Amino acid sequence: MLPLQVLVADDEPVSRTVVAAMLKKAGYSVIFANDGEEAWKKLDCDDPPALALLDWEMPGLQGPEVVQRIRARSGDTPPTYVILLTARDSSADIVQGLKAGANDYVTKPANEDELIARVNVGARVVQLQTALADRVRSLEEALANVKALQTLLPMCAYCKSIRNDQNYWEKVETYFTQHSNVSFTHSYCPNCYERYVRPELEALEGAKAAQDRHRQGR
Amino acid sequence: MADVLDPAVIESLRELTPPGEPDVLNEVLTIFLQEVPPRLERLRTFLAAGNIVEVQRAAHSLKGSAGNIGARALHDICRQVDDKGRAGDLSGLAPLVAALTLEFDKVEVEIHRLMSN
Repeated sequence: MLPLQVLVADDEPVSRTVVAAMLKKAGYSVIFANDGEEAWKKLDCDDPPALALLDWEMPGLQGPEVVQRIRARSGDTPPTYVILLTARDSSADIVQGLKAGANDYVTKPANEDELIARVNVGARVVQLQTALADRVRSLEEALANVKALQTLLPMCAYCKSIRNDQNYWEKVETYFTQHSNVSFTHSYCPNCYERYVRPELEALEGAKAAQDRHRQGR
Repeated sequence: MADVLDPAVIESLRELTPPGEPDVLNEVLTIFLQEVPPRLERLRTFLAAGNIVEVQRAAHSLKGSAGNIGARALHDICRQVDDKGRAGDLSGLAPLVAALTLEFDKVEVEIHRLMSN
């Protein structure tokens, strides 16, 4: 599997370099943003990084504002797991950061083991979300198939053909093969054996006996 | 006397280097030496101009840099300037910034010593 991509947004270059080195050592791929505006640009796309470590205090857009924008965005874009990284450590700050929509919070300077442990938690959440989204998609596809068969089908009372949406009469087999995953194999039931197959076999036997008699009589 | 740079932090930076890659410790210290002096200069200019908001911002950023290389004393002075700036308290800032400059000089010497080893 490809390494997960992490965005590191921090206007402070020493911190940026150290955090990136910790992430790379743990097997993540890293992209950078030097301020909040740049971070938002890199997160506001169809294929954003799976995780983001955002510094709280950056020029322009601050970390919590970037998170609010991410959470306010609508559409199918996969949600980015956001960890705020900051020297602020009062519980009022922690509450404010989480209320803004951050998933987690790490104080600076970051302790390597703690940072990586928290990023790994984020990676697990992202992978679960992706697996769940895939599952929902395949269930929706299955549901669409079921719906296609949940309609009122006009059927000929005599030959059992089915009238399709284009107003053509189709054989039952053709209709179901096209509208579902069903395919058919042909056989006969005991009733039809008695009614159709046995008389046909007997007729064949009779014809053969007549032919033999005719040959002997010559 | 306490270490100018915390040896445990320096060691952990050194250990961040992946095999066959350029030394992370060296990279971080080089960036520190490039980035910190201009920001220290900016902090002094803003202090002279009485711009407390920018003084706080510069101190906050310097605090982050200092913390990351284990410059404990420098980090502590930056934190005091950051706190005072946040509180809008200009009193006693000048001596703190003077102390910050002195401590930075010590850190710079220590970095050069580490990098020449």
